[in-house]
Amino acid sequence: MYSVLKGAGYILAHVPDMVIHNGTTQTTQRAMDPDSEYLRNLGQSLRTYEESRAYLPNQTYIGNVTPEELAGYAQPWHEQASRFQEREGRFGEIMPEDEFIGLIAICDVFDLVKLEAQFAASVKQKLEAHKLIDSSQLSVFEKGDDLAGIQQLIAEEHAEALYYQGQAVGCIKAAHDIDQSLSAHVIFENLVSKASCVLSILHLIDKNNINKEDIEYVIECSEEACGDMNQRGGGNFAKAAAEIAGLTNATGSDIRGFCAGPTHALVQAASLVKAGTFKHVIVAAGGSTAKLGMNGKDHVRKGLPVLEDCVGGFAVLISENDGISPEINLDIVGRHTVGTGSSPQNVISSLTAKALEKAGLKLTDIDKYSVEMQNPDITKPAGAGNVPEANYKMIAALAAMRGDIEKSQIAEFVREHGMVGWAPTQGHIPSGVPYLGFARADMMEKKISRAMFVGKGSLFLGRMTNLFDGISFVLQQNSSQGREETGELENRKPIVITAMGSEHGEEIIYEAARNAARKGISVKVIGSTPVTEKNLETVAAASEEDGRKKMEEMLESGAAYGAVTMHYPFPIGVSTVGRVITPAAGKQMYLATTTGTSSTNRVGGMVKNAIYGIVTAKASGVMNPTVGILNVDGARQTEIALQKLKQNGYDMTFAVSGRADGGSVMRGNDLLTAAADVMVMDSLTGNVLVKVFSAYTTGGGYESVGYGYGPGVCENFNKLVLIISRASGIPLVTGALEFAKELIDGNYQKVMADEFAKAKKAGLDDILKGLKQSKSAAAPPEVKVPPKEVVTEEILGIEIMDLEEAVACLWAVGIYAESGMGCTGPVVLVAEVKLAKAKEILTEKKYIGQE
Amino acid sequence: MDLENQKRVKALAEQYGPENIIVILGAAEGEAAGLAAETVTAGDPTFAGPLAGVQLGLKVYHACEPEIKEEVDGDVYDEQISMMELVLDVDDIRKEMETIREAHCKY
Repeated sequence: MYSVLKGAGYILAHVPDMVIHNGTTQTTQRAMDPDSEYLRNLGQSLRTYEESRAYLPNQTYIGNVTPEELAGYAQPWHEQASRFQEREGRFGEIMPEDEFIGLIAICDVFDLVKLEAQFAASVKQKLEAHKLIDSSQLSVFEKGDDLAGIQQLIAEEHAEALYYQGQAVGCIKAAHDIDQSLSAHVIFENLVSKASCVLSILHLIDKNNINKEDIEYVIECSEEACGDMNQRGGGNFAKAAAEIAGLTNATGSDIRGFCAGPTHALVQAASLVKAGTFKHVIVAAGGSTAKLGMNGKDHVRKGLPVLEDCVGGFAVLISENDGISPEINLDIVGRHTVGTGSSPQNVISSLTAKALEKAGLKLTDIDKYSVEMQNPDITKPAGAGNVPEANYKMIAALAAMRGDIEKSQIAEFVREHGMVGWAPTQGHIPSGVPYLGFARADMMEKKISRAMFVGKGSLFLGRMTNLFDGISFVLQQNSSQGREETGELENRKPIVITAMGSEHGEEIIYEAARNAARKGISVKVIGSTPVTEKNLETVAAASEEDGRKKMEEMLESGAAYGAVTMHYPFPIGVSTVGRVITPAAGKQMYLATTTGTSSTNRVGGMVKNAIYGIVTAKASGVMNPTVGILNVDGARQTEIALQKLKQNGYDMTFAVSGRADGGSVMRGNDLLTAAADVMVMDSLTGNVLVKVFSAYTTGGGYESVGYGYGPGVCENFNKLVLIISRASGIPLVTGALEFAKELIDGNYQKVMADEFAKAKKAGLDDILKGLKQSKSAAAPPEVKVPPKEVVTEEILGIEIMDLEEAVACLWAVGIYAESGMGCTGPVVLVAEVKLAKAKEILTEKKYIGQE
Repeated sequence: MDLENQKRVKALAEQYGPENIIVILGAAEGEAAGLAAETVTAGDPTFAGPLAGVQLGLKVYHACEPEIKEEVDGDVYDEQISMMELVLDVDDIRKEMETIREAHCKY
């Protein structure tokens, strides 16, 4: 089982004084030309905490703005007004300098950090209010030092000064008078790395509901070295940070790989968990003072503020597969090897195409690549261009050279598979990892299926090798592979079913739920009788409508993975694919479709029904379903359209009628033999058929055979809701629950997305447009939509062809309305208070009859 | 241009004679290419490194320019550089390079 990405945390610490005193561009300048104009005026170009906090890329880094939203703002972003004032975000926080200095003091366990007494008191007060800092950690502020003593340490003992708002407020001492590896400068850099790492870990834990005690291992992957002269890079920032963060059950170690460090660390963490060595591993890193203001000279020269004024950090949790979080697919790992060479082509290819190829994937099969996500505001004025964009262009160019796309499609590829950059230029920090938090959210909402994280490192900077380096991996939606290896997971994907409204009584539903539970299916029954049995949970509801609301809540929150119910207001476009058992040989057959309206065009609807049927069949285990079109009005046109789709490359198999003349248009006899796996028809016919096939053995009133009316299918309709008739009996309801489970295990949403993508690639949209228009009402005149209201009341009795007009005519008088699908036909939905008036108007305009 | 690289270019020019040197650049875009080219011809425009105020006037080309492309074996060029022709704004780079060469190249 692949390990999963369970959570992410990201932090920034705004440290303008450290830009001046610790960034190497500034320290180098001070050494060469201490009176330079740049240094003299630098203070004026530094932003305040509020300005840096509001800066859009910084707000993106901590999760308050998504990369897509950031892309919507014109660049350069430092010129954009920002309404974002929050210190905290979905993933972490932006900490002000004085508190960060306090955190550094907390991280110092060798009494090397000295803070002036008043500053110490002020910081202590602020950190007392920080919910992630334990009060026991504040004892370090009890004894402050006097400023004179601190200044003496700086002047005479080579201590590094700590500044805040231009004033010296403390210092960091050398840990040894002679050992250069323990100089004040080194200790300073290392404590900054440690502190930003600790803060990242604290936010990871806080924002993702993690138990500290569960963490067994920490891998730290920054670019600092800690040790003494006898072991200069001895390391283990990981353990040091774990200690301050309170991870009492963890040990750890450091991984170094320049900027590719984080991706190397993630591959290793994922492997440790997949192998079962550990269940929960954190990968984390703090940031670097050296890189602060690295491009400051260019920024100042061009009249920009110094944008590199923050130290960055991140932490992610890799855990054993939980059935829902995105998986790290360790079968797709790209490596830049010793033999790869340094040409851009070989570098990019080794990290992307070559790895994907082995898994049978093309470059276009990855939804989003996360490369070096440096903020272009920072890099462009410094002559380094737009780094993420350059990376995406290279991947696109590679795709063009491999024939996956045309050269003319390079720009489109960049837009579709790339993102704008938002991370600070803190070396390893922007390399692939900033997108992990967003990717996880997008995958759990099924917005994307696969993302590839590419890390690259400039090893030559260490002068040990001239080689480049890189490693990459793919993150993908959870494929629920877990179920094969442990039965436990089966119970983690509950299906909710509503018991009220059954014509044979609620007990039918409870009994069916028990049957399903016996087969290992986790069911939550919404009904009026409380029950607690293994795998069977009841949720009490006051009425059928209350039950429906609770069911909807459970689907929205993810408490249920799918629902089985007797009534659901599907939007137009959705129709249900039923599944019955046929008498000739007991063979099953999918009826596409049995309720709902796929389209206002009859033939177009039947074409869509065919696709819906294929999706449902594949997702419930029929790998290569045969498709037949029932000989109803529109069958021939539907057949022609589907044949064209197949000719264009859409992979599908037509069934053959059992009658002597063959063909893929099916007769009544074929219904009885299930000559097609998927039988295509309009949903009114399907509705009649599903009832007949469900109740013919019992005489009609008790539906006992088959799996019900099936799931509501439509492109982008991602909820799994199956319909059963109110006349359903125990075996049929049991069947519907099994059907639901098969669809969940079969990753129904992914099958649907893939199938629609294939059909669209074969020109589905054009084929639908080209169909003969059925007699349609005149298009409703342009009407302004009134302000949106919550609509809970249904008005029945409207003809499907009149539906949009009816809605528009209510809008025209200021009544907000929506169209929908009720049990027996199309409905107009309005708010309760507007119901009477709406009915009056619709009756007057003859959309509905007199009551 | 990186200070270390400036130092090496200066040393090599002194060792082998500036008329025997060609500098080949791989910058990602026009402005960066122009800056590097200016450094090895008219001197470091940022006055930060060893070539500050030193006018070597060396011949300088970007790897994507036709003069370099023609010198390299076709297959090797394809394998090492051709992908970048689709990525870089080669025309912009060429323009920058020509401007600098015209103004400052001595050889």
